[in-house]
Amino acid sequence: MKKFRLYFEEHNRGPLTQLWQQFQRQHAAVLGLVMFSFFLLLTLFAPLITPHNPYLQNPDLLLLAPSWSAEGLVQYPFGTDDLGRDLMSRLMKGATYTFGIALVTVIGSLLMGLALGAMAGMSKGVKSSIFNHVLDLALTIPSLLLAIIIVAVLGPGLWNTTWAIMLALLPQFVHGIRNAIQDTLKQDYVAAYRLDGASNWQVLRYAVLPNIWEHLTVMATMALSTAILDIAALGFLGLGAQAPTSEWGVMIADALDLIYLAPWAIALPGILVFASVLSVNLVGDGLRTAMKKRREN
Amino acid sequence: MMLHYFLRRTFLIGFVFVALTVLAFSLSYLFPGDVLTNVSGLTNIQPEQQQALIEYYALDQSLIQQYIAYVNRILDGEWGLSFSSQQPVLSEIIAVFPATLELASYALILSFVLGIPLGLFAAVKADSFFGQLISGITLIAYSIPIFWWALLLIMLFSLTLGVLPTAGRINVLFDIPTTTGFMLPDIWLSDIRYKSEATQDALRHLLLPAVVLATFPTTVMIRFTRDSMLAVLEQSYIKTARAKGLSRAQVLYHHGLRNALLPVIRQIGLQFSTLITLAMITEVIFSWPGIGQWLLDSIYQRNYPAIQGGLLVVSCLVIVVNMLTEILHTLFNPLARKA
Repeated sequence: MKKFRLYFEEHNRGPLTQLWQQFQRQHAAVLGLVMFSFFLLLTLFAPLITPHNPYLQNPDLLLLAPSWSAEGLVQYPFGTDDLGRDLMSRLMKGATYTFGIALVTVIGSLLMGLALGAMAGMSKGVKSSIFNHVLDLALTIPSLLLAIIIVAVLGPGLWNTTWAIMLALLPQFVHGIRNAIQDTLKQDYVAAYRLDGASNWQVLRYAVLPNIWEHLTVMATMALSTAILDIAALGFLGLGAQAPTSEWGVMIADALDLIYLAPWAIALPGILVFASVLSVNLVGDGLRTAMKKRREN
Repeated sequence: MMLHYFLRRTFLIGFVFVALTVLAFSLSYLFPGDVLTNVSGLTNIQPEQQQALIEYYALDQSLIQQYIAYVNRILDGEWGLSFSSQQPVLSEIIAVFPATLELASYALILSFVLGIPLGLFAAVKADSFFGQLISGITLIAYSIPIFWWALLLIMLFSLTLGVLPTAGRINVLFDIPTTTGFMLPDIWLSDIRYKSEATQDALRHLLLPAVVLATFPTTVMIRFTRDSMLAVLEQSYIKTARAKGLSRAQVLYHHGLRNALLPVIRQIGLQFSTLITLAMITEVIFSWPGIGQWLLDSIYQRNYPAIQGGLLVVSCLVIVVNMLTEILHTLFNPLARKA
């Protein structure tokens, strides 16, 4: 799709524009981005747009079937649960917990990882070697197991889960950021910048960080899908958010007793977890491909 | 060169074990409740016993001496008592551990058998319909929450179709004496009359959990094999081999496959920790009497000595598998020895 060029103009677009151009060529990735934005909006505005109160129990409408079956009511599109709470409102509110808290944990973990990774990446010698070994240990323990141990110490609950997952995600962030920083430090432009008299902080701020942020974004999307799955899994196991909270994993665990009566109560929250993780993975994959193509050009 | 490498590895593994035992040791203090109770696992300690126990567990000494005493006890196989059953933690772990290993190894084998050929196929025919299809399916399977996937399969095969059982390792009607702790070898080693029926029943119980557990590692294996193969196919030695006049199959087998599978070996070690975590969730859903279910039960019951022991065993297993795959990788790949 080369345009006819009359003059020999150099088209130098910024890296962000180039990245976006490569990104939007992948239809799956754009679909992922649309889904991701949908979940983000749902997370932010769920309390305002839920049709019913997600915690209000309606004893007259227990276990109402979804509206597509003959017994359903159109006011309750996905039916109600065994306490008469509107399933659709609960699912919408659940986005705040599962998706929203996953976002918070990833951002928190990313910031902590950035600080520690920068420290590790800029240091050399014994200090960095000890640090590496501690990291290796932390990386061998599975993130969910680490989260389970932390929950066992702190006790179950949504906030403890948040901390646990934040800490459990930390090692991979530190590891990835440290490697990215060390790779960048080997580049010639960093050496040139140092010869100009830049201090460690200036090198980090002006030469390293602008060159690794793409990497960080890809890392963050991978961590986000892990975080969503871990929060839902901990909720399902009864170690994360507790019963009345409409976190998606908890909702699946709650609906287990009704597996014969209301299979949709298990299917729907699962579809949402699946769709949110899929959207994150699509965006992550698309970003990675776009990054690779941009570098090649 | 190799000696230096092994020495470094040994040092690293020693360091990791020390750090791990320090973590497990500190949990006695971090967990709520009395330290002596947490260390010993005895739930009702009489006042007259207390002094003797404190001396036995070296709790009156400095933290470092307590730690040394703890490591000695771990090495002697004295891991304290479980709060809920008042049985030694170690013997309980030995009883449940083989079930997890059995499930995890079948899932791992399944992921190899399916993942590597499919990944190679997806790489070689990257632009064909099937190549795209495989990539699409892996992305979907990669995003599916395992507990929900397990429930879907249970709803389909057990509740609706009624063809597969939902829980346990074997029908309780079969009385299989435990020799190895692994179900299938146990059946073959035993001298019961109904061997083939028992084997069939055990396999039917195994099918759903193994498929559920294998889903994630298989997708990772497909993606990784595909990416690794694609990277190898772009190397100049592939072009050289083609230019020499080798056929496509020869190039793929001799030059492509061997180089592409090297990083895959390493990936097994890295994925093993995820596999164990997923095995824990799978065990809970399918009531599979393995260490995952046991560990989660311990957490619900605030059974601190059991949590400590479980953490140690699971982490050690993960580390040992990690090390083994890394050493294997180094043995197969001369290029990795330089690092």
